[in-house]
Amino acid sequence: MATPKVTAEASFVAINKKKKWQPYALYFILPSFILYTLFVIVPTLGSVYYSFTSWDGISSDVRFIGLANFVEIWNSPRVHNALKNTMVLTISLVILENIVAILLAVLVDKVRWLSKVFRSIFYFPTLLSGIVMGFVWAMMLNYNFGVVNQLLDKLGLGAFAIDWLGDPKYAMLAVILSTVWKGAGYYMIIYLAGLQGIPQELNEAASIDGANGWQQFRHITFPLLAGSVTVCMVLAMISALKIFDQIAVMTDGGPGFETETLTYLIYKVGFGELRQGFGTALALVLFFIILIITVFQVKVLQKREVEM
Amino acid sequence: MFRKTLLKLSVLLLVATTILTACGSNNAGGNTANTPENGAAEGVKKEVTFTIGYASGDPAGKKAIADSIKRFMEANPHIKIKDLSETTSSAYLDWLKTKDAVGEFPDLVEMRDTEVFADAGKIVELPEDLRDIFSTLPDVGGKIYNAPLTLTSPQGIIYSKKAYEEAGITELPKNWDEFIEIQEKLKTSGISPIVVGGKDIFHMGFWINKFLIDQVYANDPDWNSKRTAKEVSFTDPNVVQAMTDYKELFQNYIDKGWVSTGDNQTASFLVTGKAAQLFSGPWMFTQIAEADPNFEFGFYAIPDREGKVSVVGLPTLAGWSLSTEASKDSEKTEAIKEFIRFFFQADNYSKYLETTNGIPSTKENINYEATEQMQEVLKIMADQNVTKSLMINNWWGDNLIPPQFRNWYYKLMQELVLKDGDVTDYMKQADTEYDNQVKANAM
Repeated sequence: MATPKVTAEASFVAINKKKKWQPYALYFILPSFILYTLFVIVPTLGSVYYSFTSWDGISSDVRFIGLANFVEIWNSPRVHNALKNTMVLTISLVILENIVAILLAVLVDKVRWLSKVFRSIFYFPTLLSGIVMGFVWAMMLNYNFGVVNQLLDKLGLGAFAIDWLGDPKYAMLAVILSTVWKGAGYYMIIYLAGLQGIPQELNEAASIDGANGWQQFRHITFPLLAGSVTVCMVLAMISALKIFDQIAVMTDGGPGFETETLTYLIYKVGFGELRQGFGTALALVLFFIILIITVFQVKVLQKREVEM
Repeated sequence: MFRKTLLKLSVLLLVATTILTACGSNNAGGNTANTPENGAAEGVKKEVTFTIGYASGDPAGKKAIADSIKRFMEANPHIKIKDLSETTSSAYLDWLKTKDAVGEFPDLVEMRDTEVFADAGKIVELPEDLRDIFSTLPDVGGKIYNAPLTLTSPQGIIYSKKAYEEAGITELPKNWDEFIEIQEKLKTSGISPIVVGGKDIFHMGFWINKFLIDQVYANDPDWNSKRTAKEVSFTDPNVVQAMTDYKELFQNYIDKGWVSTGDNQTASFLVTGKAAQLFSGPWMFTQIAEADPNFEFGFYAIPDREGKVSVVGLPTLAGWSLSTEASKDSEKTEAIKEFIRFFFQADNYSKYLETTNGIPSTKENINYEATEQMQEVLKIMADQNVTKSLMINNWWGDNLIPPQFRNWYYKLMQELVLKDGDVTDYMKQADTEYDNQVKANAM
C-alpha cells in the first residue's frame, strides 16, 4: 500500500489552519477569565489603591493619604525588624532546604532497597499543611509538656531543657528546622528528576578515570543539576519570603518580635491592629521585594546552567 | 488551714448591695421575656432568627452564655439564635474583624472595643428601654452602646494554701516588700513561685497593668490623654519604675517556661503544685475548682510599696451590643431585646454569674452562692480604701489609646524581660511607637 505524500506546501497550509483565530475559543476562556478577573485581578488592583489610604478595614471611611504608609514603612523600626527576620529566615531556608533536598535525592537515587518507601517517607511532610505541621512541632517543642524536653528529662538531661519557642536564642532556629523538615521532600523530588536525567555514562567514565564519589558529585552531578537548582532555589526563596502558617501557629511572631516576618506583620497590622491600608502597602512592598530578588536570582543561577 | 468545703460558705449574698453605690429595686423589663410585644402576639408568633457572637476564651463563660441561649430558645421557640462563637487561636478582635470581613458580623455581639466599632458604624446605641436594667452604664460622648455582662473584676494573687504553708508563710503581705519576701520563701522551699500564661498576650496585661495602675493610673487616671498630648512620657520615672519592678519580678520569680505557657494551662500548674501562685481574676476560680475540687486556694490583691491597694475595677465600655445591620430589622431588634432582658433576669443571670464568678451589673439584687475566694473579691470591690482603676487599653474618650498599641506594648515588655533590656531604652521605643500610632490613626 502506497503511503500518501506530504508535501512542504501541505504542511504549511495545515500549520496556518491551526493558527487561524477561532472565535468560539473565546467561550471556553470566558468563564475562567471572568472568575480570575473578579477574584484576582480586581482585588489586586484594589489593594494598590488601599495602600494609599488609612482604611482601618472595617469602616466605610477610606481616606487617601498619599505616600504616608510608604514613608512609615521606610522609617518603622518594626518593619525593619520584620525585614531582617524575613531575610534571616529566607537565606537559612533556601540554603538548608536545598542542601537537605539534594542529599536526600542522591540518597534515594543510589539506594535500590526500599527506595520507593524512602521517597514516600521523605516526601510525606510536604503533604501536611503548614498549620498542622506548626501545631505538631509546637507541641513537640513545648517547654512544659513537649516530647523533646521530656526526652531530655528521661535521659537525665532535664537541666538542658530549653523553651525552644519562648527563648529568643532558639525560636527562629526552631521555625527554620521545622520548615526544612516540611519542605525538603518537595525539592527532593525535583532534584531526583534532575538526577535521573544525568547520563550514567558520565559517572562511569569518571569512575574509570579514578574519580571518587565526592569528585563525581562535585564535577559531574552538581553542575548538571544546575537547572533543578535554579528552580528549587527560586521556589524555596518565594516560599520562605511568604512564610506565614508556621510563624502564626508556633510563635505568633514572638517571643517579643523575634520571629515576626513581613507576611506575619502584614496580617498583624491589617487584621489585628485595624490598619488595612498600612498592611496593604506593606504587602505591595513585599511583592516588589519578591519580584526583584526572583529576577536577580534567576539571572544569576541561569548563567551556571549546563546544556547536556 | 480550713477545709475548702467548710469555707465554701453558702451565703446568699446580696451582691449588688455590697458593692454597688447606685441601687434600685426597679425590675424594668425583668419579666418580659415571654410577654408579647404590643399585644400583637395572639396566635402563632412569627419566627425570627438572629446571630450572636461572644468571646469564648474562658470555657466556663462560654458554657454559661451557651446555656443561657439554650434556655432562652426553649422559652421562646419562635426565636432562633445562631451562635457564631468559636474558639480560635486568634484574638477576639481579630475574630470579629474576620466575621465582619466575610459579612457575618453578629447581630448581637459581645463588644470589647466599643469605640472602634462604634466609630466604624458597626454597632448602634443600646435601646433606651433596656438601660434601666443596669446600675452603671458608661457612655462615650454621651452615647451608650453596651449592656455590660458584668462589672469589671479585680485581679489578684490566687495562691495555693498548701504551698504557702510549706514555705512557712503565715501572713498575707501588707506591702510590696513583704510580697517579694514571700516570693523568696516560696523559691527557697523549692516551688516555682508564680505561673504566667505569657503565650496568650492578654495574660501579660494582668501583670503589666498591675504595675502601671500602682504607679501611674492610681494617681493619674488621665495619664493616657496626657500621653497622647505628649505631656507625659513612658520614660517618666513613675513608668520606668513600674516596668523595672515588672522586669525584676519576671526575671526572678516567674516559672521558666512562661512564654510557652497558655492562660488555660495556668490552673493545672497551680493544682498540680508546679507553681504556687497565679495573678488573675475571679473567672479562674471555676477552672481551678474543676481541675481539682480538693485544691485549697486563696485570693488577695497585691499592695504597693506604701501598702496601698489599687485594682482594676472601674466600669468599662464592654458588653452586649446591637449591630447596625440588625437594628434595621425591627423584628430582629425586638427578639434581641427579648434575649437581653432574659439574660439579665435574676434567675438566669445568677447562673451566669455563679459560673463566671462575675459581679452583677444590674440594678436588681442578684443572689448567688459565693465561694470564699469570691467573697474576698467582693470585699475588695466594696472597700472604699481600695483604688479602682483600669488597664491601659480599657480607658475611653480622651484616654483611649491607639487600639493597636496594647498588644505591641505587651510584646515589647516580653522582649524587655527575655533580652534583659534597658528599661529606659524600651520606654523610648514605646514613646516612638505610641506617637507613630496616634499619628497614623489621625490620618
